[in-house]
Amino acid sequence: MNPIISSLLISNLALGAIIVAASYHWFLAWIGLELNTLAIIPMLAKQHHPRATEAATKYFIIQATASSIILLSSIINAWHTGTWDITQLTTHPTPTLLTIALAMKLGLAPMHFWLPEVMQGINTSTALIMTTWQKLPPMALLYLTTHQLPTMIVLLLAVLSVLIGGWSGLNQTQLRKIMAFSSIAHLGWMLTISTISNELLLFTLMIYLLMTTSMFMTLIFSTAKTTKDLGVLWATSPTLSTTTMITLMALGGLPPLIGFTPKWLILQELTINHLTPLATSIALTSLLSLMFYMRLTYITTLTISPNTTNLSMKWRFKPTKTINPSPLIMPTLLLLPITPLILI
Amino acid sequence: MMYLIEFFLVCFVISLVGIACNPSPYFGAGSLVIAAGLGCGVLILLGGSFVSLVLLLIYLGGMLVVFAYSVALASDPFPESWGNLGGYLISYVFLMVLLVFMFGEGEFISLGVSGMDSCGLSVVRVDLSGVSLLYYLGGGGLLICGWALLLTLFVVLELTRGLVRGSLRVV
Repeated sequence: MNPIISSLLISNLALGAIIVAASYHWFLAWIGLELNTLAIIPMLAKQHHPRATEAATKYFIIQATASSIILLSSIINAWHTGTWDITQLTTHPTPTLLTIALAMKLGLAPMHFWLPEVMQGINTSTALIMTTWQKLPPMALLYLTTHQLPTMIVLLLAVLSVLIGGWSGLNQTQLRKIMAFSSIAHLGWMLTISTISNELLLFTLMIYLLMTTSMFMTLIFSTAKTTKDLGVLWATSPTLSTTTMITLMALGGLPPLIGFTPKWLILQELTINHLTPLATSIALTSLLSLMFYMRLTYITTLTISPNTTNLSMKWRFKPTKTINPSPLIMPTLLLLPITPLILI
Repeated sequence: MMYLIEFFLVCFVISLVGIACNPSPYFGAGSLVIAAGLGCGVLILLGGSFVSLVLLLIYLGGMLVVFAYSVALASDPFPESWGNLGGYLISYVFLMVLLVFMFGEGEFISLGVSGMDSCGLSVVRVDLSGVSLLYYLGGGGLLICGWALLLTLFVVLELTRGLVRGSLRVV
């Protein structure tokens, strides 16, 4: 792609998200969402093969439908109450419509079917943008409206997302699809706590972004696409195979790592609010996600599969990508002890 | 008059279906033209005659250009259509419009305009101050809308970048 066009599209991707985050009028939020969607479409289809085109088409249709549902709900609200304020969405069917639209934008179950297919059809760098940056505009709208969304529907979508994210990820070998299902499960956790605490919503989002970015940068560096490719990561970069274990265990939410902190704080808030069966169910269904993270860890770090080479390092050409994921992986390992300093 | 709005909206939905599923791009773009025209009709009946006119000129004019380009590119000498009921459908539409105008509530035969807030020569146009506000206090919003439209142009140009470099190639 022409570098001028490429930089224009990336700038407008950022501009769209910033407009959504900075708006309090529904029209401005909608314009930001549309800018965001439009700007990423050529980036999805950059590779010009039919799978990428299909991914771009699916992404565009889903996101355009969700944006138009958001616009419809804001117009119904403006018709009945006269206000276009994002934080005052109170007419009867409107918060429900908005919940469904935001769930469709984020890729929450049962509107999650587009996310693994879109992520599989694009290259790994664009998949990184899809799971991290593209979650920010709907999260901004969720942050602003979470006090008036119907709690029953939100919690239902959340539990379903954690369950489906874990369960569907079990049968996957393609790494981008695994990361898509991991994204669905983490967003389910975020949606659970959005009904109680906005600060924990943001905290979970930030930690999720950190861990997902680390994992994706490892995948970009090693150009690994399937689980089998991760099996020879030890020969490409032994350090990276160790830190992949740390990142995967952090994604699974295991204690000495940073991924444990949001899960711990969420479970604490849920039990304080006497939502113990909900807390138990999302904790138990997260074990399904942990299974496929553990499988990836096993293949990457804990075993070396039988191979034909007698050399200890894989023969490779000088790598063209100079991605260094270690500044992101270090906080995943060491950041847990600052939990008491998180002022919520 | 509500019957006319309802009729226009029903035809609008049918045209939207025609845009989405059409055996040849001629008819998709043609359905878009009809849908835009019907939407403009609904806007007029609800009192916004200025924005309806602007929509007709700019959007419909743009869609006609799209239609012309798809005619030029698709170049199908015998384009396949939805079936042979086109003639019946058009004549039904015209008959309905004629009947509504003839035997409607009688306001169409009188002087002046008819709409949501208007009756005869007593006219309320609900959209003019909004449009002027768009250029005055809503200048930032106008700029952002214009920027989004310009970006759409770049996105479409990038996606259809012709020959082997575009993603929407004819395979």
